[in-house]
Amino acid sequence: MSNPSETLIRIIDLHKSYYDGESELPVLQGIDLEIKTSELLAVVGASGVGKSTLLHIMGTLDRPTAGQVIYGEQDVFTLQDTELARFRNKEVGFVFQFHHLLPEFNALENVAMAALITTPSNKTIYEEAASLLEYVGLAERLSHYPSQLSGGERQRVAIARALINKPKVVLADEPTGNLDRRNSEAVHELLWDFNAKSGQTFVIVTHNSELAEQVDRVVQLVDGKVVL
Amino acid sequence: MKFEWFVASRYLRSRRKQSFISIISIISIGGVALGVATIILVIAVLDGVEHGLKDRFLSNEAHVALSIFDHSFFKGYQERIERIEAIENVVAASPVIFAQIGVFREHSNTIQDAIYIKGIDTAQEDEVTGFSTFVIGSTDFQNSELIEQAALINEGETITGGIILGGRLATRLGVMKGDVLRLLIKLVESPIDSSMLLPDLANFVVIGFYESEMEAYDNNFGFIHIDTAQKLYNQQNRVNFIFVRLTDAELAPQLATKIEAAADFTVLEGMPNARTWMEAQAALFSALQLEKIATVIIEALIILVASFNIASTLIMTVMEKTKDVGTLRTLGSSRGNIMRIFMIQGSVIGTLGTMIGTALGLSLCWLLRTNTQRPSYWYIIALVVPIVLQFLIASQHAMRNRGGWKFAVGVLWLIGIGFALYCAVRPISLVDLGLSQIYQMHQLPIKINWVFVIFINLLSFAICWLATLYPAWQAANLKPVEALQHE
Repeated sequence: MSNPSETLIRIIDLHKSYYDGESELPVLQGIDLEIKTSELLAVVGASGVGKSTLLHIMGTLDRPTAGQVIYGEQDVFTLQDTELARFRNKEVGFVFQFHHLLPEFNALENVAMAALITTPSNKTIYEEAASLLEYVGLAERLSHYPSQLSGGERQRVAIARALINKPKVVLADEPTGNLDRRNSEAVHELLWDFNAKSGQTFVIVTHNSELAEQVDRVVQLVDGKVVL
Repeated sequence: MKFEWFVASRYLRSRRKQSFISIISIISIGGVALGVATIILVIAVLDGVEHGLKDRFLSNEAHVALSIFDHSFFKGYQERIERIEAIENVVAASPVIFAQIGVFREHSNTIQDAIYIKGIDTAQEDEVTGFSTFVIGSTDFQNSELIEQAALINEGETITGGIILGGRLATRLGVMKGDVLRLLIKLVESPIDSSMLLPDLANFVVIGFYESEMEAYDNNFGFIHIDTAQKLYNQQNRVNFIFVRLTDAELAPQLATKIEAAADFTVLEGMPNARTWMEAQAALFSALQLEKIATVIIEALIILVASFNIASTLIMTVMEKTKDVGTLRTLGSSRGNIMRIFMIQGSVIGTLGTMIGTALGLSLCWLLRTNTQRPSYWYIIALVVPIVLQFLIASQHAMRNRGGWKFAVGVLWLIGIGFALYCAVRPISLVDLGLSQIYQMHQLPIKINWVFVIFINLLSFAICWLATLYPAWQAANLKPVEALQHE
């Protein structure tokens, strides 16, 4: 495990604009941010301020208009599609507001999926997936399909899936935005738990003030810039 | 590829949510299968007809007919035949005098018909066209009892020799064995006035009938002895044709030039012309060939239409799975991974369709060719069972949700359709259709050309594979963020 004080992600002067025909809609207007290993970071801000966009770019799902995202020494946007996909697969885990589980696959297969992309199917992957599901309290639900699970259960499967490849960073976009209070708390518990247990970095976009109070650091976005 | 197979196979089954897609998959598979099956069947029938016709033609047709361009007579034919028979793959050659003549009935003064006449040496002709095997009656042109009897009855008339008439021609002319026919061979100068031409008539006794079951011969030909023909035409030791048989009829075009060279006609005699059976029947066989090409094109269009089915199925799948594609991209699938997932789906549809179609086409060919007693009408029961079960499934919610039932009914459908085909598909009788007369084929002929079957399989795979390219490319190029937000 890497040194906790080490910088994991450096975001340098990040700009992102959306274009609608001729008109330019700037969303991110020069974000500078350093995220340390094992940090539990919350990104807050008004709706539409670009929190999700920032998260997507950090997770290499989208490309910035200008600026860099550097993991360790690697400027990720210099990578080709295949390398970027490999990078995303190994180093980044995602949790979304909506679970985004694949409906044709059961809980176990959904969790194992990220590992199966690069590794031929083997027992170890499924054992690992099963133990993760057990850890999130779904030991009895391995062969259930997403449609047979409750909202809270689905989100817990999604968290287990984000962790299967032991990524350095987990990016969560409103992970409890769609859950009731009891389920939200359970999901929060899980996130803190994993952060404490495995020292993974968590970046969480949230509206939830309770959640924001429990993190190491809160970053607020206003008008496409970071306000400290 | 394991990962792509894992996802693609699940999408093909699509047991969750929209079973609609997998029904579409079945329809796509069926479309390809029907295209492939019909093309195999239709080409097998066309090949069968062509093969049957060739067989019929070649049973009594020389493979090559050698002559001088203007069909003039030439001498030294026995030496030429020896040289031709020395060529590799030449079985035999036979001298022939070939001409057209007018026919009169006995004691009649008007020409009744114009027929082709072949003056032949029976032994040599047998080697080339199997002449004697088709003759009912005597093949002894000179010494038949019938000739003697006719000579007695028709006292005062000179009998030139015997003639064997095509069976249908004889019927048309209304002549029986032993009847005398007058043949108009040529015109000769009148001994009184050299500016006058008189018909040179010869009397022949009908000694047998030629029954090859080939319309062109049976209806138009008469056969006389070569010596008689030479005398009639004043062409002692000359003929105007040499007919040649080869070990393999398909060699005719290659050997034609060798035969021309072996004939070695002088400049004075004229240009040689070795005409192959293919050239002689060019009109028919090129029509068949043209028909086959047109059929292949039309049938390939059917497969093309089926491939559009595959493309639209895949495009629908891509649309339905857009969000999942986004998810797979966040999990770290590359564009290549996504592309392969959808190409595998399309290829599986194409491969299954092609295989089922090939099996169906070959089975139909086999059923159409094999004449066995088959149970009839029982297939109605075999079809009623799955129909009833299908209705039950559609109406009973409890049954609908049981995958086992659906699978069982699917199997019953296959068995029912297979059994119905087995009962219903029989060789098609051309006799019943009234088509057996001309070429004497008793049932619709079927000939499977395996090279063509393989070709069609490859073509079908290729078309189906091409159809997957665009939808798969479309899926691979979905932007992850937009795909995730797709509803």
